[in-house]
Amino acid sequence: MEALLDNAGPLLQGLLTTLWIAAVAGVGALVLGVLVAAARVSPVPVLRGVAFGYVQLFLNVPLLALLVLFVFALPDVGLLMPLATTVVVVLVVYEAAYVAEAVRSGVNTVSLGQAEAARALGLTFVQSLRLVVLPQAVRAVVQPLGNVLIALVMNTALAAAVGVVELTSATNKVNLVEAQPIPIFAGAGVLYMLVALTIGLLSGVVERRVAIAR
Amino acid sequence: MSTTRSRLRPRALVGPTIGATVLALALTGCGGSSESASSAVPGAAPSSAAAAAQDVLAGAPVADVAAILPGSTMERIKQRGELVVAEALDAPLLSQQDPANPDQVTGFDADMAKALATYILGEPKVKIVPPATETREALLANGTVDVVFNTYTITPERAEQVDFAGPYFSSGLSIAVKTGNTDIKTVDDLDGKKVIVGANTPAVTAVPEKAPNAEIITFGTDPQAVQALTQGRGDAYVQDVTLLASDAVSNKDITVVGSPFTSEPYGIGLKHDDAQMKQFVNDWLEQIYADGTWTKIWQNSLGTVVQGEAPTPPEIGSVPGS
Repeated sequence: MEALLDNAGPLLQGLLTTLWIAAVAGVGALVLGVLVAAARVSPVPVLRGVAFGYVQLFLNVPLLALLVLFVFALPDVGLLMPLATTVVVVLVVYEAAYVAEAVRSGVNTVSLGQAEAARALGLTFVQSLRLVVLPQAVRAVVQPLGNVLIALVMNTALAAAVGVVELTSATNKVNLVEAQPIPIFAGAGVLYMLVALTIGLLSGVVERRVAIAR
Repeated sequence: MSTTRSRLRPRALVGPTIGATVLALALTGCGGSSESASSAVPGAAPSSAAAAAQDVLAGAPVADVAAILPGSTMERIKQRGELVVAEALDAPLLSQQDPANPDQVTGFDADMAKALATYILGEPKVKIVPPATETREALLANGTVDVVFNTYTITPERAEQVDFAGPYFSSGLSIAVKTGNTDIKTVDDLDGKKVIVGANTPAVTAVPEKAPNAEIITFGTDPQAVQALTQGRGDAYVQDVTLLASDAVSNKDITVVGSPFTSEPYGIGLKHDDAQMKQFVNDWLEQIYADGTWTKIWQNSLGTVVQGEAPTPPEIGSVPGS
């Protein structure tokens, strides 16, 4: 316990980095994910194909492999990004695939009559998607999106493997000096749990707020 | 019109797929923290080294029956018939698994562990548990392993959690730079530079002590750190001199500069408060120091890349915490 309190500074600094990476990557993944989901239900075959390929690629490649690839292979083709930026980019493109699948399942909950009515009123495809279908679709999948964000927070721990000092890496450093892995990693685990619980509670609140009474 | 409608409700069959996806997502979400410290490094493990190690072990000492005290840890190991050792599989010259023959693990730490097994059991029967550097104390405390041979630097903090026999080797941190870089010659030149270090190595704390304005970048494995150095993510790479020497032998893009600027006494990690076992292992170290076994093990491993004569083994109990 003492080992934890003595090192609260570096651990909280690591937690801040974790939260910063998760927040930026979370917003990016939500935006990109909704765009990919829209492309997957669009009437344009090329867009559908590209979006399908995108989702399949990122659902089926482990995140750590992507991180190592982006961090160590891109410099060989002349693109050297800062480490934290690289991690955020990888998390955005990876988690966007999961967001897209969640949103697509939401699209399937919107009744066909809604889309028919939108088209009958003369809305274009983009308009009916943006104004009628997607708002209802996203409201239906608030909880699943919350789960994607929790997974994203946990996945930031992989950044420790490529040199970013977030919570897991900071925990490793503290343990290196203190040599008391059980209290120190348990402490870090509690911090991760608090973040996950907060996201879970918030998404519950948002879900009740935006729920559509049918 | 009709095609558009069908796109908006793409397929009713999609339900089960999405269920599976969300489940998969939940599962991957659980495995958040991952440790990538086990990328195997090929090379530096020729079979001739293994043959030489076997010759050394054939002549290694075996403990008297009287030394295996009844009820002791040594006796339990002997009854079990194998020594359970925490050691790396990816440290060239220290403890490296042969990629072509996974049963073969060679290097200084690996051969020392086999010699200790020979001392207790009469044959080099070792079961390896690859440790993450952050779990070594826990592995010893809960009895998963008997001993740790893992470039385990003796420190007073660690000595409160585990017992250390030895030191059995004294090494130090040194600096590698990209070949052709002449800016950095000593540790003082690191101030204000980007310095790559191995995660969970003593360099994480040693570099800021000597060069407070250096920016530290940590990588999980030695090959990643070398790659990062050659790609220009940092100006220098600080790591144990033996590891740097073997990197520089296999990779002409990096050069080791200067001599080590710290002293790292490596100890054999043992369960805390097991004075019998500690005394037993220290007695064994005295024997292999005296009969030349230690020197031969060094020559077979680290001696293949380090210039000059074999060093004198460090004095047992000579550092705080041992």
